[in-house]
Amino acid sequence: MDKFVVNIIHRPEMVPEYAEKVTGHGKAEDIGRKALLTESLDIFKTQQRIAHENGLKTTIQMTYASLFNEEAVELAKADHEKYGDEIALSLLGLPCKEFREKYKTKDFCIWMFSMEDKKSIVDDIFAKFHEIFGFYPESTGSYYMDADLTNYIKEKYPSVKCAVATCWEEGPKAYHTCNNSWYTLFDGGPWNPWIPSKQNTHAPAANEAEDSGIVAIPHLSRDLIACYDGNGSNFGTHPQNVLRGMIYDSKTWEYPYLYNLIDQYRDLEKYNNGYAYNMMFVGPAWMNKMGRWEAPYELLEKSYSDGCAYYGKLKKEGKLVDMTMAEFADYYREKKSYTEPECALWRDILYGSDKQLFWYCDPYMRACVNMDQGGAIVDLRPYAAKLEWPVGIGTKHVQDASYPFLIQEKYRAGYFTHYAGEGTVRSAKLSYNGEEVDLCLCRTKAHFSEEGKTRILTLDPVDIEFYDLTVKLQTKIYFEEGSSNIKIERNILEMSNPEAKVELNEYMVACYGTTEYPEDMMGITLKCEGASGQEINYEYKCREAELAGAEAVSAVIPAIETKVSMTASDKAAVGYVKEGYAFSPMFTLGYTKTISDKEVFATWLNLEKAN
Amino acid sequence: MAQSGKGKLNYRCPSCFMRDLDIDMFYDKDKDEFYCMRCQYTGNEKDVLEKNEMIRFRYRAMDKRFTKFDFD
Repeated sequence: MDKFVVNIIHRPEMVPEYAEKVTGHGKAEDIGRKALLTESLDIFKTQQRIAHENGLKTTIQMTYASLFNEEAVELAKADHEKYGDEIALSLLGLPCKEFREKYKTKDFCIWMFSMEDKKSIVDDIFAKFHEIFGFYPESTGSYYMDADLTNYIKEKYPSVKCAVATCWEEGPKAYHTCNNSWYTLFDGGPWNPWIPSKQNTHAPAANEAEDSGIVAIPHLSRDLIACYDGNGSNFGTHPQNVLRGMIYDSKTWEYPYLYNLIDQYRDLEKYNNGYAYNMMFVGPAWMNKMGRWEAPYELLEKSYSDGCAYYGKLKKEGKLVDMTMAEFADYYREKKSYTEPECALWRDILYGSDKQLFWYCDPYMRACVNMDQGGAIVDLRPYAAKLEWPVGIGTKHVQDASYPFLIQEKYRAGYFTHYAGEGTVRSAKLSYNGEEVDLCLCRTKAHFSEEGKTRILTLDPVDIEFYDLTVKLQTKIYFEEGSSNIKIERNILEMSNPEAKVELNEYMVACYGTTEYPEDMMGITLKCEGASGQEINYEYKCREAELAGAEAVSAVIPAIETKVSMTASDKAAVGYVKEGYAFSPMFTLGYTKTISDKEVFATWLNLEKAN
Repeated sequence: MAQSGKGKLNYRCPSCFMRDLDIDMFYDKDKDEFYCMRCQYTGNEKDVLEKNEMIRFRYRAMDKRFTKFDFD
């Protein structure tokens, strides 16, 4: 049965993250200010009222600060009794007088503390919660939950089964938008709920042994095109984020985009066995009486009311089920297997471009296919490595919790570069009589289907026009569940000269990293695998190697414990590897093959852990 | 000349917004203008509001209600 589930979450944050800085302008900092506490609680009450008026239950994520506030506690208990709201515990909203006195810090992001502090804070908060409510919570969360933190919580407080665990593509782009002052660096995760592995939160568990024991949900449901390119905090199921993006009519205060976003998420049930999901989680600072940027309070309040009203309407029409986080975790465990992927064929609903992306996520990879670039893979995260990546003070990554990429078209160029070097992308080129055309320049659309455990993207055929030859080519991309590979098939449907021979070059330009800036490529090993295999140890020397009939062409990247390889369907293909150079710190893997009319040639991109 | 403050609403710099930067502006009451600390934009409230409308040029489908999300 088709099901569209929504989680609506509120937190009584007594000192909202933005409020003290933004609304308190001109006053010295005082986080115990009575007016601030009163206003914060009023906003929480308003949010609860709006949800309930629309027939929606919520998950109340109590903050540490709110556990010291009797009124907040009583409100939570009353709404739990009356509406069935879940009383949960957030790891956001740490700042308050009690926290600052004990921990002597202004840090407020749980994943950035030292492991010792994480444990101590978790124990403090969970103990306080138990003291107040008489039970331990079933749900928790933050903007990001690192694996060590989740593992500790699950071991010590096994009642926890659900957590808000990442914000999709909130990384360098969000940092940049905030004038390089907002350190939420966690790109590379799933956009919809998943079961995190014990090794790395972003990488879903492949089996019970890897299962962290919780169901993770993303912070907000975000636009899978707009957020990938722009500021994540403008394009999500957070009505005030839509205002932040100025995606509304300033005269009528209407924002059809918000409803389009919700509806496109509903539509994703087609690709996920009848299941679709939304999450709305608006912190109180977004509804403060002084307004937020250009938006006055009345517009902030209206947008939240409208958002809840739309979910409420869908519920009344039988098109939506509202759940608490804990209820959702149970539902998800029953509905999903470890290896079932999350799929999203997503269209542009904002810029009027008809651009289309396909996002795929399973325990072995997250990949993005761009139909505006002929079905090129423009983002690739090798979850197969299940990279252990501790974050927080005392680790190598104090703030950077992103899962590393092999391909990222925005950070590391993609097809278009500025006249030198190469950018990361997995595509193909066709050559004929000295002319060369890259499929990245062939805009097309895709259609989704399933055959057994394989998800298939069938792209509309494209014409490649040479001076005296036209080739009609169709691409099919296969994602076989649990295989840790992507098969790309090129079908030559027609040639204007059936006798012509064209060279097809299937290639992948890659590197590794989490940001726009290059990493050290020394230590990477490139190989043409086969009887007379060849190897290049990366030294920025621009070397190349090739091998006819190569069994595989591969790269081992020790820094991210990943092996990526390509294999081909035809022994007649020539495998090759290319080292980059300092101005183009990339490597290339590929196969070339001469192809004829009606021929089909397939290659696989394979991901493995290398350690 | 007195220090700057914030206006009744907390306007962001329209020029920086165009390059995906959220920068709060400050208000100079002597000149009756908002100004950006990061770039060189200055303008009164009317100008800010006009530029905020201009910003929306890229949202060509902003007013459209979609009912179909695939191309099948």
